[in-house]
Amino acid sequence: MPTLSRSPRPRGFSVVAIALFLATALALAVFPSFVAKPYVMHMGVMLFLAIIQGQAWNVVGGYAGQYSVGHAAYFGVGAYVTMMLLEVSKIPPWWGIWGAILAAVALSAIIGSITFRLRGPYFVLASISVAEIIRLATLHFRDFTRGAEGYLLSEIPTLHLFGAEIVFVGKRPFYYAGLALAVATIAANWAVQHSKLGYYFQAIREDQDAAHSLGIHLSLYKNVALAISAAFTAFAGGFYAMFVKFIDPNIAFGLDVSVQIVLIAIIGGIGTIIGPVIGAMVLVPLSEVLRNPRGLVQVGVLSPDSGVVTFIERYLSNAHLLVYGILVVVVILFAPEGVLGVIRRVVAWGRRRVAARGASPAPA
Amino acid sequence: MTVFLQQVGLFLQYSLSGLLQGGVYALIGIGLTIIFGVMRVINFAHGDLLMLGMYATWLIFTKTGLDPYVALLATVPLLFLWGAFLQKVFINRVLNALPQNQILLTIGLGLIMSNSMMLIFTSDYRILTTSYSSSSFDLLGLSVSQPLLYSFLVTAAITAALFWFLQRTDTGQAIRATAQDRDAAQLMGINVRGTSILSFGIGSALAGAAGALIAPTYYIYPQVGSAFTLKAFVIVVLGGMGSIVGATLGGLIIGVTESLAAAYVASGLKELVVYVLFLGLLLFKPSGLLGKSRA
Amino acid sequence: MAMLEISHVSKFFGGLAANSDVSFSMEQGMIMGLIGPNGAGKTTLFNCITGYYPPSKGEVVFKGTRLNGMQPDRVCRLGMVRTWQKVRPLAKMSVVDNVMVGALARTSSLRVAREVAQEQLRIVRMDHRQDFLAGGLPIGERKKLEIARALATKPELVLLDEVMGGLNTGEKEEIILLILDLKKRGFTQVVIEHDMKAIMRISDRVVVLNSGEKLTEGTPREVADNPEVIAAYLGERVEG
Repeated sequence: MPTLSRSPRPRGFSVVAIALFLATALALAVFPSFVAKPYVMHMGVMLFLAIIQGQAWNVVGGYAGQYSVGHAAYFGVGAYVTMMLLEVSKIPPWWGIWGAILAAVALSAIIGSITFRLRGPYFVLASISVAEIIRLATLHFRDFTRGAEGYLLSEIPTLHLFGAEIVFVGKRPFYYAGLALAVATIAANWAVQHSKLGYYFQAIREDQDAAHSLGIHLSLYKNVALAISAAFTAFAGGFYAMFVKFIDPNIAFGLDVSVQIVLIAIIGGIGTIIGPVIGAMVLVPLSEVLRNPRGLVQVGVLSPDSGVVTFIERYLSNAHLLVYGILVVVVILFAPEGVLGVIRRVVAWGRRRVAARGASPAPA
Repeated sequence: MTVFLQQVGLFLQYSLSGLLQGGVYALIGIGLTIIFGVMRVINFAHGDLLMLGMYATWLIFTKTGLDPYVALLATVPLLFLWGAFLQKVFINRVLNALPQNQILLTIGLGLIMSNSMMLIFTSDYRILTTSYSSSSFDLLGLSVSQPLLYSFLVTAAITAALFWFLQRTDTGQAIRATAQDRDAAQLMGINVRGTSILSFGIGSALAGAAGALIAPTYYIYPQVGSAFTLKAFVIVVLGGMGSIVGATLGGLIIGVTESLAAAYVASGLKELVVYVLFLGLLLFKPSGLLGKSRA
Repeated sequence: MAMLEISHVSKFFGGLAANSDVSFSMEQGMIMGLIGPNGAGKTTLFNCITGYYPPSKGEVVFKGTRLNGMQPDRVCRLGMVRTWQKVRPLAKMSVVDNVMVGALARTSSLRVAREVAQEQLRIVRMDHRQDFLAGGLPIGERKKLEIARALATKPELVLLDEVMGGLNTGEKEEIILLILDLKKRGFTQVVIEHDMKAIMRISDRVVVLNSGEKLTEGTPREVADNPEVIAAYLGERVEG
């Protein structure tokens, strides 16, 4: 017997939510004025990148229900095209990245037209295959892409904007840019969710055939979702390339990139706006600490000769993939609706307890 | 004329090696198709099970000197138990979940397996060299790698045993019944839970056996599984999801295709060719040559 | 001009003829009852008409436009909508959002869509359920939701597939009154139903399918008294 429950989605504008969002964004913007340690800035940039990736994936995976586990294809295209335009054609990245986004959207149209006729797990497998084909092609056609050698960037040209000079040296400028991008992505996501597009995407996710019979052109809307998703993912890719300054086929197109993107979206709560934020806040610190435990020393959390640091360095270096694997298993088995889902269940359980207690008088 | 004969000879050579290699691929494919047939789960960790088989064989060899083919007596039951454990503890819980979640779960398990091995054994390539690792037979003028031939013979034996098991024994028939119609099988009193555990165990054992068989001729490292997972999928889709005969045929076809691609296209592109073939199959012939599809 | 013309429609699945040479036509404002034993091909016919799959043979003409093989979303925008035998609510969306999805076929404004949706929900008396998740509704309300959602697409022709299946007497009565009311408001309807009393009350004409073929067509009375029809239903006598 199905249980009647209220829809968790608020209708229209939630002033509180928007206020909170703006306040947080503001706080994050002024944060570097107080704490500007490179490790913290680095963590911040990676956090924003993860948020962008998760929000982007959500459009096609969470709302439209098309689980792509090959989003690295767009991330990598974003990274490589931006990088190649800079290194080979000397085009500054803030123009080049738009070219990269265009390329990714074009690619998504091709991939979408091929793979969207597949359903469920077959679509998942196809998306994985496409990303792998691109990775292997990038690896192999080294005359064009430098193959396994990858691209190494030495410096980024200065941006001259409205008379001001923005120098991309160090991590702080990337922090601000990353924050702005993350805010923009969240806003775009919110706009999609509260538009005809959002409703149609969700209808497709819930029941494709029913949606089709209600006037929804399936392949058109699936491709729109994918295009939006690909654009933002490519943006993240180009941004990442400029920040880390080194890319190779595995970094750009690897399966673990795709898995991480999906993880970010599902850990927090798939198909929600705050989900990827939570997911990023769980995944990024974990993987960064495992990759570079010394950073914790830098920010004063741990002492230099702490056993934790040496333990991680000796036994757990690059164990972030292992952690991802464990997280995936835990989330799928115990919290497929993510952290938000757990919270909702707890709140609903709490509400039922309160209602029950109120309904029946206390025993004498 | 002699050049032409030479070319034909080379072609036959490549095809033969591919065919023998394909035998082992068939083993991997059969394991995956049994798992899919019985549980409708797409096991993305299949290649990592094979990797575990490789490491187990290597460990036994380095510690005891036991020949890999003899060590099969130990590695197969080991992988069987491991597979049964995975099914009982993890896979069983998602049998009714969204297929996407099932795939994600197996991807997660695969990541855990491959990265745990990396932490324990590091990413260093290991090699298992037996006395006959680089020897070859002469078969009608064609050179046949010894380990490859042995693997093929063992594979044939295992496949024959498997066929016998599935056709002639009660348990085997129970597995086939569950694969055909899970609900009907349950209504007829078949222990569907047990059959699932058994099937995952068998699937894992076959993957492990394949790993053991190729250990003398492949580099052994934690990430080696992913290439084989992909191959297993191509084989299974080619032969038809759930069809054991199809997986056998598919394995042989893929083995030959890969061998010819490596020889005539470019060695670096052979994996790419397989992926493109896979994509093409998914799009145009998802039910494969012989299968029951649910595309 | 007939609103809907089905001419010699056949649908084959491999060797099986699910529909075989079915023909009938409908004027605007009619209610056509489509009856027949289980497996007669009624839902298959709906699927052929609405573009879920194209007919193997024959023509489907709606308002003068040939539909064969037209995609379901275009058919919907032309003015034909269907409900499903096994209800298909958009489970994780709220009731009003469900109906809004239908309304968005005619507008891009969420505000307008919401107004239309709330109006349709009022008509089926479900507006008090607006904000509840569709997946948690009992079967009777799911059926009403599906009708409201279909009506929100502003159709001219509505195909109802066993919309009374699984409902109690009170719920069925509500649906019957709704169907009759829709007719008064100018909608054309094809109703697949097993409940003979309901069919007798609402239909202007009845088409009987059996094993994919059209057995007969006529007024409800003619069809109910037809011995072949009775035989097809294995001897059930129809009262009323």
